[in-house]
Amino acid sequence: MVDYSAVQQAVIDGDDEKTVQLVKEALEQDLNPADIVASGLQAAMSIVGSKFSSGEFFVPEMLLAARAVTKALEVLRPRLLDPGTVTIGRVVIGTVAGDIHDIGKNLVSMFLQGAGFEVIDLGTDVSAQSFVAAVKEHNPDILGMSALLTTTMPGMQATIEALESAGIRRQVKVVVGGGPVTQHFADRIGADGYGADGGAAIELCRKLIKE
Amino acid sequence: MAMTHKARILAAARKQAVDKLPFGARIDVWYNYHSSHGTLPEKYKGCNMVEILRDQGAGAQVRHLRIWRVEYDNLEVVIHEDPPHKTTEWRTPLGTVTMKTIFTPQEGPWIVYEVDHPFKTKEDYRVIEYILENTRIVADLDEYHQKERMAGEDGMVMTGMDLYSPMQAIMRYWIGYERFFYELHDNPAQVERLYELEKELAKQKLQILGDSPVEMPLLCANWSDEFHTPIFAKYFIPWLREASDYLHAKGKVTHVHADGEMRRLIPLFLETGIDVAEAWSPVPMTRVTTAELRKAWGDKVTIWGGIPAVLFEPQYSEEEFDAYVMNLFKEISPGYNFIVGMGDNLPFDGKIERVGRVAELIDKYGRLPLEV
Ligand code: B12
Repeated sequence: MVDYSAVQQAVIDGDDEKTVQLVKEALEQDLNPADIVASGLQAAMSIVGSKFSSGEFFVPEMLLAARAVTKALEVLRPRLLDPGTVTIGRVVIGTVAGDIHDIGKNLVSMFLQGAGFEVIDLGTDVSAQSFVAAVKEHNPDILGMSALLTTTMPGMQATIEALESAGIRRQVKVVVGGGPVTQHFADRIGADGYGADGGAAIELCRKLIKE
Repeated sequence: MAMTHKARILAAARKQAVDKLPFGARIDVWYNYHSSHGTLPEKYKGCNMVEILRDQGAGAQVRHLRIWRVEYDNLEVVIHEDPPHKTTEWRTPLGTVTMKTIFTPQEGPWIVYEVDHPFKTKEDYRVIEYILENTRIVADLDEYHQKERMAGEDGMVMTGMDLYSPMQAIMRYWIGYERFFYELHDNPAQVERLYELEKELAKQKLQILGDSPVEMPLLCANWSDEFHTPIFAKYFIPWLREASDYLHAKGKVTHVHADGEMRRLIPLFLETGIDVAEAWSPVPMTRVTTAELRKAWGDKVTIWGGIPAVLFEPQYSEEEFDAYVMNLFKEISPGYNFIVGMGDNLPFDGKIERVGRVAELIDKYGRLPLEV
């Protein structure tokens, strides 16, 4: 019998091949795909997230773990009776205008995917207008913005204002993050939440979805 | 006779005595932005950076990427310009790789950033190997001499190996950060082969630097605790040690541009043999204070920096700025082996007068040993 702690360990080790192999075995043993996701993959990402927050893990470990989960999800997706069962919410994410830093944003989006969110990534240097257009087009539950430069942080506020002018601010929860961003800044610009890292982003988005 | 800015900076870098705190300021982001928008303060229109800093009473950092250039054999390089983007194609008999960069000096940057890297699939290893095997490093000092004349005794031309040590070149230039870590995990032998080839080229650069008049060569730039720490001992320390030893034997001091998050790199740094950590950016730009860094490094490493760029922005008041600088003096007391500077640059919305204010505070309180 595949046990979930082995799946978790493979993810934590960043071993994508082993993760995929264990997930395949679990499916052959008729384990419930939704359980494999929740008790195997998502549980592992929570552990990886807290190891990063506590300083035990670095970016490379997070990247490798996130990749293992992404690959395992590809195997699982067709086997889930209702593909909606892996999707607990939809997130549109991007790095704000003038800013091309995307490593943190990519990690957050992989973490969210691993945790069961559907993520639409708009890439970097995304203008307020493009965020608004994407919210209209995809109707997400959450809009995530990343900024690594103090000079591009105002782009977050500009986006929130643009959502307001477009009359769609209340349709979507806005979360922000990135090196220089703080909870204080998030409160000041009227965002709904701030996340310090990938693990925190998962908790935050889960909480906001429930509200 | 009082020491010049340059003499003071170099003395502190060499851990020799100085009369007062050296100050080497960096304003190229601010300068590039305002000179291209025509918004330099009236009295500075037509001035270069060194002249502006001289007026502010500060020593200058003049950036110069490298004192060498690359030449290729047996391959063709084709460049497509589509401002602000540029695409470079390396056409080799084994295949072609392409890279896209962005360059927006009018917004501040002085260098290009890679938005797309040459390595895209496993097939590209052989092409990149071929490129590196057919690259030659050639000394090219004309522009350096020009900048030396511009800086004079009022500052330092900051130049050296370029931004990357050999593994960084693979990581940041050829493959890109994220993919690099996947590749190092999946195909370590191929990544290491590229590393060896980059090291060979780096040795040619080292020789050029060793024979050049550059007093304090740059070995690499832009580390970050969360990427570099896990691979630092294996791929950075041995090379940095070798390069430092070589340059020390040539009578030089070495430096790195250490503007990133440093916490878990701090103990490892001591094993590199590097003399100066420049662009030191403490709290609130990173999570480490200057006091902590001083405590960890003692007098083994000269620190250059200490005033985070954000402090120059209008969101901080004049009182907060002064208090930050005075606290810095307290943290570094008695003040030897320290060069005051910013981490890493005056932002485009930063206040140039605060550079002058730092010079004033140094004149008033910065005699060594510090007594604040
Ligand atoms: C890598 C890097 C680059 C790379 C970017 C490559 C890439 N593809 O992203 C390159 C070389 C291109 C680059 C360029 C520049 N950079 Co840079 N860069 C860095 C560096 C070293 C690491 C950033 C990083 O990726 N960290 C790792 C990730 C995982 O952390 P993170 O992004 O913070 O993300 C985490 C959290 O913040 C959070 N998070 C992030 N986004 C989001 C979003 C949401 C919704 C949530 C909930 C959470 C969340 O979760 C993530 C995972 O844990 C930092 C310095 C450092 N930190 O050491 C400087 C740094 C960010 N860069 C800086 C600067 C100034 C620049 C340049 C302007 C350089 C210049 N002077 O010309 C250019 C700007 C280019 C541009 N227009 O954007 C400054 C910013 C200063 C400031 N605060 O304004 C820094 C701090 C360096 C410094 N001390 O001066 N840079």
